[in-house]
Amino acid sequence: MSIVKEIASAVEAGKSKVVGGLVEQALKEGVEPSVILNEGMISAMGIVGEKFKNNEIFVPEMLIAARAMKKGVEVLQPHLAKQGVEPIGKVILGTVSGDLHDIGKNLVGMMIEGAGFKVIDLGVDVPPEKFIEAMKENPDCKIVALSALLTSTMPALTSTIKAIEEAGLRNTVKIMVGGAPVTQAFADEIGADGYSEDAASAAELAKKLFKEATA
Amino acid sequence: MDRVALDCQKESQLIEHRIRFSKDENYEVPVYNTPIPPVENFKLMLDGKIPFWMPSDSDTLSIIPRILPDNVARGYVLEAEPLAPEENGGVDMFGVDWVFVPSVGGSMVKPGNPKLADICDWKKVITFPNLDDYDWEGSAVKNAPILEKNRDKFIETWIFNGLFERLISFLDFEGAALALLDEEQQEAVHELFDRLCILYDDLIGRLQKYYGVHFVTFHDDWGSQRAPFFSLETCREMIAPYLKRVVESCHKRGLYFNFHSCGKNEMLVPAMIEAGIDMWIPQTMNDFDMLVREYGDKLCLGLRLAELPPTATDEEISAAAASYIERSKGCTRVFTSGALFARSNPAMAKLLREIYFQSREAYNKLAAN
Repeated sequence: MSIVKEIASAVEAGKSKVVGGLVEQALKEGVEPSVILNEGMISAMGIVGEKFKNNEIFVPEMLIAARAMKKGVEVLQPHLAKQGVEPIGKVILGTVSGDLHDIGKNLVGMMIEGAGFKVIDLGVDVPPEKFIEAMKENPDCKIVALSALLTSTMPALTSTIKAIEEAGLRNTVKIMVGGAPVTQAFADEIGADGYSEDAASAAELAKKLFKEATA
Repeated sequence: MDRVALDCQKESQLIEHRIRFSKDENYEVPVYNTPIPPVENFKLMLDGKIPFWMPSDSDTLSIIPRILPDNVARGYVLEAEPLAPEENGGVDMFGVDWVFVPSVGGSMVKPGNPKLADICDWKKVITFPNLDDYDWEGSAVKNAPILEKNRDKFIETWIFNGLFERLISFLDFEGAALALLDEEQQEAVHELFDRLCILYDDLIGRLQKYYGVHFVTFHDDWGSQRAPFFSLETCREMIAPYLKRVVESCHKRGLYFNFHSCGKNEMLVPAMIEAGIDMWIPQTMNDFDMLVREYGDKLCLGLRLAELPPTATDEEISAAAASYIERSKGCTRVFTSGALFARSNPAMAKLLREIYFQSREAYNKLAAN
């Protein structure tokens, strides 16, 4: 098995203790940092996401894989920086105003990070103005991801999108929404650009929207 | 127990109205003439015999006392002295702070600042409550008049924060989920759950002693709307053995165990059965028909009633009742859940009565065959 495949397999199995060592070994063997990242770790997280979506694995397995990837990225980061390898894009993420739930939002953040994005996590109960502030601070960010778990906070998805429109920033980003009560129909109704029903699909959606935004 | 033919006139007789505990304001419910007490009917179902009618949560009475900080923290107190709205939420019996969300009618721990950064530190950080600190005698005296009046009902209490929920309350969700699978944390989780089982055993003993409950509803949500949080294998290894001990704490005292576990958890039912639970009310995203088919002989399943419009006609109500009886597919280990709707919706009150009458006939036929 090649060292890159070994890394992928260790990430998928969540072996956080060995991933760092394997990344170091790969670097010593002269494997390009971007290859280690893309083919060793991001692709492994893609498989993890797919298995999660199909109920072959569950939240603990996904978390443990993400933790392993994080260990690998820690070792890899200085080498990526030296070569000018940047995250593929930025995603601003948060649970909307009035809603304290963070489980779905955190899983989405983890999978989007696993897909190679930098995630700016604003936390829970985030008012529209905080999203706008983060967008202004990160003009290169192309995606805003909004989460709501409660039917009572779904209107905050609408008002956040409206506030972004009113701030004149709507055309600068793609907006994706999700959360237990949210549906594709609701996402369409409030003018979101995408909806996903689980964390793995959210990572795929982010990639798709990013491609559209940068086309 | 001898079967009794349905006597519509007699069984339509309104005996009295009785107080039912509610979260906001206790209210009165009608009590009808039944051939056997509702508690005995429930027990027939739970013991695998054919009940006289399809049991319903309207045959139960819940006592969830305010003396237990967990019940107040979770904003779910059902007793003689309901909570005022401003009393909902606050610290539970481990000192974890819960925020009550009025629009949901429930509470959550505000995420981001868990009590435990590392589960391996739980013995140093977590102080277990001393149940002697609560005024059990006072609470029992206060609630006794209503409880005694309802001894013919199937009386329950709830234990909030089952094993996984307790772990989440200490570690936040991701920390708890990770701890179930991380080899370096698993031992600490086992030790914590072992200690919790001792606490729950003590608690169950007191709930029986002071309130005379017949069953315990144990609250532990295991899944989201699309899947369980963890695999059956993880559940079997990390949670089910301790759930079994809590179930045994009930059974050894002659109490039944109702599992409250929200989420699409049908994949985890084998672990529930291995733990010996008596009842589970699956949320509607679970495949109820499959559950009855596969597991109807191993545990009792609660069928959630969908709310009818208050203007539903008698024909529509009758058809709805027939559909619920049909969905049990002749399995007499199915009960209904939806009594709450009957408080303010006359069509739902009628539906409960219609299910009673239709199932009386259907179950008598089954018993005769």
